[in-house]
Amino acid sequence: MQKKGIRFYLRIYCKILAQDLKSKMSYRADFIISTVGMIFTNISGFVSFWILFRSFPSLNGWSYYEMLFLYGFSLVSITPVQCFFDNNWSLRQNVYSGDFIKYCFRPINLFFYYQSEVFDIKGLGQLAFGIGTLIYAWVKIGLPFSVLMLLKMTVFLLTASLVMIALQNAAAASCFWIENSFYVLDLVCRFKDYAKYPITIFSPVFRFIFTFLMPIAFIAYYPSLVVLRPDAVPLLSWLSPLVGIAFFFVSYKIWMRGAMKYSGTGS
Amino acid sequence: MSAIIEIRNITKEFKVLNRREGLKGSLKDLFSRDYKIVRAVDNISMTIEQGEIVGYLGPNGAGKSTTIKMMTGVLEPTSGEILVGGNVPYQNRTKNAQEIGVVFGQRSQLWWALPLIESFKLLKDIYQIPDKEYDGMLALYQSLVDIEPLLHKPVRQMSLGQRTLSDILAAFLHNPKIVFLDEPTIGLDVSMKAKIRTLIQALNREKHTTVILTTHDMGDVDALCRRIVIIDKGKMLYDNDMEHLKGFFGSYRTLKIRVDGDLKAHAEEIAKELPECSVSADEEWISILVDEDKATVMEVLGTLQTAHSIRDMQLQEISTEEVIKKIYEEGVQ
Amino acid sequence: MKLKKYITLTRAGIIEALQFRLSFVVMVIGNLLYLIVVYFLWKAIYASAGTDVVNGMTFNDTLIYLVLATALFNFMEMYTVWEIGRNIQSGKIVLDLLKPMEYRKYLFWSYSGTFVTQFFLTFLPTFIVVSVVTHGAVPLGINLLYFVISVVMAVSINYSIDFLVGTICLYTESIWGINIMKQVIVLLLSGATIPLAFFPEPLRSAMYYLPFQSIYNAPLSLLLDGDPQPQTVLTTLGMQAMWCIFMLLLSKGFWKVSLRQITVNGG
Repeated sequence: MQKKGIRFYLRIYCKILAQDLKSKMSYRADFIISTVGMIFTNISGFVSFWILFRSFPSLNGWSYYEMLFLYGFSLVSITPVQCFFDNNWSLRQNVYSGDFIKYCFRPINLFFYYQSEVFDIKGLGQLAFGIGTLIYAWVKIGLPFSVLMLLKMTVFLLTASLVMIALQNAAAASCFWIENSFYVLDLVCRFKDYAKYPITIFSPVFRFIFTFLMPIAFIAYYPSLVVLRPDAVPLLSWLSPLVGIAFFFVSYKIWMRGAMKYSGTGS
Repeated sequence: MSAIIEIRNITKEFKVLNRREGLKGSLKDLFSRDYKIVRAVDNISMTIEQGEIVGYLGPNGAGKSTTIKMMTGVLEPTSGEILVGGNVPYQNRTKNAQEIGVVFGQRSQLWWALPLIESFKLLKDIYQIPDKEYDGMLALYQSLVDIEPLLHKPVRQMSLGQRTLSDILAAFLHNPKIVFLDEPTIGLDVSMKAKIRTLIQALNREKHTTVILTTHDMGDVDALCRRIVIIDKGKMLYDNDMEHLKGFFGSYRTLKIRVDGDLKAHAEEIAKELPECSVSADEEWISILVDEDKATVMEVLGTLQTAHSIRDMQLQEISTEEVIKKIYEEGVQ
Repeated sequence: MKLKKYITLTRAGIIEALQFRLSFVVMVIGNLLYLIVVYFLWKAIYASAGTDVVNGMTFNDTLIYLVLATALFNFMEMYTVWEIGRNIQSGKIVLDLLKPMEYRKYLFWSYSGTFVTQFFLTFLPTFIVVSVVTHGAVPLGINLLYFVISVVMAVSINYSIDFLVGTICLYTESIWGINIMKQVIVLLLSGATIPLAFFPEPLRSAMYYLPFQSIYNAPLSLLLDGDPQPQTVLTTLGMQAMWCIFMLLLSKGFWKVSLRQITVNGG
């Protein structure tokens, strides 16, 4: 038996993904309706944003376009959780009905195997919205453009996305311990909406909470500063990739521990 | 022959929440909860050889699934030792998974939306099955069942029977040493049941795969198992060959006779004449349960003929179902 | 007794809801977090506006409005669309249709237990806290009566809309898409997330002619109006009553037609 490295898993994921997309095409109605739903969600987000901030030139020292940049950043960084980890939403159902047991018998990583089952294609619509917003805000603010900037942006976006993934993993895994964990997952899901505001609007106590206890500020605010305000990047911004990786690792451990503890329901 | 599964004195305990009843109880549960320890598996030992088909039986909630979960590495035993193919399953779940296949009658492990052949291809990658073995296995499948119409059908469009068949094929695909089948024929029609039994038997014969079968259908047991293990309330009740099973409560056979006159009255008389047999009567027959260790059926028949004029008779072997029922209800002395 | 079977369902619902003590804690935390974000966000908005009154509302007005809107949302959200969708997919709906009670009513009364617990555990405490903290900024007079009447109608309109949208699940498997569209539209256009007063003019007038504002905006504006003019009260309640009846008939009719179609086609 060969060792199962990253390449093994990547190959398996791509194959599952390809098959999954093929079969999704046969449910066109569902695909279209879900995509429209996703577009609706994004449009409603923009409308709310516009209604709130259209009449104010700045908010707490943040210009309209800087706010928009944050918004775009948060949209992009919450896309991976939507696309690749959507099966977390079914975890509770699977555990509750005992179906989760069927994932436990494969000779590959359980977490990987479980998450690989679902790829949520409608997240891509959100990605498009997010990138569009980022570019628009980038141009309007007049930020310089260079390959280095693009590279920084990519790295920080990717690691920022790990924070939301980590939060969702941990929340989903709570179903291994408590019965009605839907509320936990739902609560964490709402964090996505709070990520788009600059953390400076909060009082120091809540700034602390949203940085260290519920690290929402690492989803968009801290990582985006590296590009948005390159002259005054706080230390926490530079640390945000590490934070993302660390959180992801911890959440993975929690998830796996829960799954191992899991014993199926009776019978 | 070599032992593929060795289990020594395993026990598994669970902590279960005691829920109180009614509205008042729910309110109380909000503030305090009490737990009790349930012993699902209690000191079980067994050894299973490579290539055996073992029927693992027991009433609902007996602890069958728990034992199987421990053998597959999903659960860690509270105490005791398990070796599956030389591995301790729960310590090395993925390595163990490579050596086993699992089928749950009602929970398909295949990719719901994909055609069967695509699921097979994914499994080929996941289990890293060499091309040659994979092709050989598909060829074997083709010789055993008509899989052509299944291969290109998405699993979700299959009937329950087709899905079970596919699941079994998928479980054997990587040529595992052991396959666990949990109620593989549940909810299937008679002809599909027969088809699945034949398939399991053929795969066991061809690949020398050990099969552990849990079921409530004695037809499965009669068709497939040479050895059965019965547990109840977590405790081992029986572990031996099928042949021994029927002799387990003595060698019982039921003799049914019809005589002239009132059956009830005759039955009472017969009961006096044959004190070692249990006698009952219904509208048509007098049933006499004969324990052949004490008296043969022929001797009984001889005794009867002297006093009664027998018009018709039947001889019935005790069925597996009846024996198992007896064991579940009365336990083993 | 006819009422008794409804009460039994309510009671069962209460017991079920109480089983999940943790979900209450999580829900309270979730709402607190949301309100904290809302508080600081609007504080920043009012600070950058430079005036105490924006669009005719003070900071206090806005905050009370949003807090109570959230409490109202928790109280009214019944996840009906999910429930219907899941019942249809699992086939459980066939059993429900066999019950000696209209499906529409059965679903409503099954959920009503949660209504009761939610009202006492979330809405009422929130209302009391808001009243105390704001030192009587919430008027306590005849407006409470109007509010209660208005909420009853709001619940009915909300349920009708949910049931109407849920019925669509008979035609498509895309429950997620259907539900998200409904939720986004209702929350935005009912004034649940942003008070109607902040919407720009043509949009705001348009919203008055839609049923959604009857769900959140109508009861809340009645509640917060300390000196209600008979004419305003009558128009608001009248408008609600009209929508109440219209949506009831529409959702009932649509269900009937759809069900016939499904039965004929053997869905």
